[in-house]
Amino acid sequence: MIEIRDLKISYGDTDALRGVNCSIDGGSVGLLGPNGAGKSTLLKALLGFVRVNSGTVSMFGMPMPKKALDVRRRLGYMPEREIVKPKESAVSFLTYCGCLSGMNRIDAMERAHEVLNYVGVDENRYRKMETYSTGMCQRVKFAQALIHDPQLLLLDEPTSGLDPEGRIEMLDLIAELGRKRGITILLSTHLLPDVEHVCDRVIMISKGRIAIDGPLDELTTAREGCIEIRVRDNEKAFLDALVSRGYSWRRLQTGAINLTVPAATPPRTIFEIARECGTQVRHFRAVRQSLEEVFINAISDRNGAVKVPGEQAAVEPELSTAN
Amino acid sequence: MPIYHQTYRSFDGTVRASGRWWAIVKHEFRVLAKSRPFLLMFLMGYPQVLLRVLQIVAVDTLASNKNNQITQMVQSVMSLKITEGMFFDFIRLQAPIVFLATILAGAGMICDDLRHNLMDIYFSKAITWRDYVVGKAMTLIIIGMIFTAVPAIFLLLLHNLLAPSMQTIRDTYWLPVPIMAFSTLLVVPCALGVLASSALFSSERYSAIGVFMVLFANLIIGQSLHRANPQLVVLAFPLALNRVGEELFTVRRPMAPISWEWSFVFIVVVCLVAFWAICRKVKRAEVAT
Repeated sequence: MIEIRDLKISYGDTDALRGVNCSIDGGSVGLLGPNGAGKSTLLKALLGFVRVNSGTVSMFGMPMPKKALDVRRRLGYMPEREIVKPKESAVSFLTYCGCLSGMNRIDAMERAHEVLNYVGVDENRYRKMETYSTGMCQRVKFAQALIHDPQLLLLDEPTSGLDPEGRIEMLDLIAELGRKRGITILLSTHLLPDVEHVCDRVIMISKGRIAIDGPLDELTTAREGCIEIRVRDNEKAFLDALVSRGYSWRRLQTGAINLTVPAATPPRTIFEIARECGTQVRHFRAVRQSLEEVFINAISDRNGAVKVPGEQAAVEPELSTAN
Repeated sequence: MPIYHQTYRSFDGTVRASGRWWAIVKHEFRVLAKSRPFLLMFLMGYPQVLLRVLQIVAVDTLASNKNNQITQMVQSVMSLKITEGMFFDFIRLQAPIVFLATILAGAGMICDDLRHNLMDIYFSKAITWRDYVVGKAMTLIIIGMIFTAVPAIFLLLLHNLLAPSMQTIRDTYWLPVPIMAFSTLLVVPCALGVLASSALFSSERYSAIGVFMVLFANLIIGQSLHRANPQLVVLAFPLALNRVGEELFTVRRPMAPISWEWSFVFIVVVCLVAFWAICRKVKRAEVAT
């Protein structure tokens, strides 16, 4: 569906994308990256909004930008920036969007009502758009992307400005479109939980390059030698015994204990030590790497320091927001 | 779950690939039809049409009775005669209305879309920047034509219907061409100028003020240069327009001693500069097409 080969885009002297290669054949794909990584530029390149320095982009088997109109007929785009059409209602605006997509006015109006129902804009659809809250505008933006029934949805920060309840509703809608309706989703966001909620594949961009590209399940695999346990009775003796045998541990906020197992030590050794100390193991599971950790690793340099082009401090607040 | 609740449905209708700019024109007219100031301006554009209708009815119907005293009086007043000069004057006097209506309709057309981030939405649909520019410009051109060419052609037909003779046909058969040409020369620079201002300024108000300022500055500079060289008055847009109009309608009035060719070139240059400014701004939002 999307085939990108060695895509390079620069704004003046600044390289926004430095040779991006990827292909997307369907499903829901999360596009992650810190500020300035090139996510929005990549979406704009797919839409034909920016000039490409080198490389090729083809969508639905058609080269961009040569077949831009044919491609746009099949995709819907929800931009990040807030939009409003003054003096017009959501119905009127969406009908106009439908007409721009080539529908006749009657079809466009019918479809406008359908998609506004779907995204949860009820009787407010007849109000002037300048009176809408940010959340309402966000829903209208989403609705306009669906008006012409696209096969591919490009969503740029679709949950920004939404309250927690609205955010979950929006994510459920997106997930339903991807899983039940077969619409391919490319979701660009900073919010890692959004990606975990919707996507089955993640592409992480850092410094204009793809740092990680793979299925979400594989990226968050069990971390080798890391186990989370809960125990009862003689906990201190048990932990001391573990330390004496080369284990290290850390108590989590949940009360569980995060154990780092020495190399080449089978997990059953932990149960043997527990038996020796008269301790019951009540909970035992391998620790999975969180998407947050994957993200931080992807954008970190070899020394482990987070390096984001032009905005080092911006990364951590984003992650804490995600939490 | 309410009975009216619907889940997502696929669209099974048809979409057309042509006439994309026409969708923009239709939408703009729908928006303007709901605007009270524009409707008021629309009404203000028609008193002159009404007066001209009365003039034509009076002259053509009364002229059939040669013995009527009113006929002799009417025929003695040159300005009441239905000549090519009347059509020229009609369009010329509609110019301020065209100008104001174009500003009212067009000052916010592009700047509002830019300010409210709507370009990304529009260009994610199957339209090109050309469709967008043509759609906006055609809206303003049609508005201008509604005040100029359309009533002028109506008056011409009325004149031919009320005074049906070979002489009337011989006198007026060529007039549709100058009417359309002069209306176009008046309406197109107005439309493109207002759109260019809308593209360059950040709000509707600044855009309207910008157009007024450019027009007044143009008149002042034209008049100032006129003192140095009478031919340079061609740089005053309204005078240049009138000069070309005089030539089209073969009306000889010594309003300004300037060449109509240079006047025409100046009008074309104004249109090209305005068109370039619009395209440059709009093409920034969409480079693929």
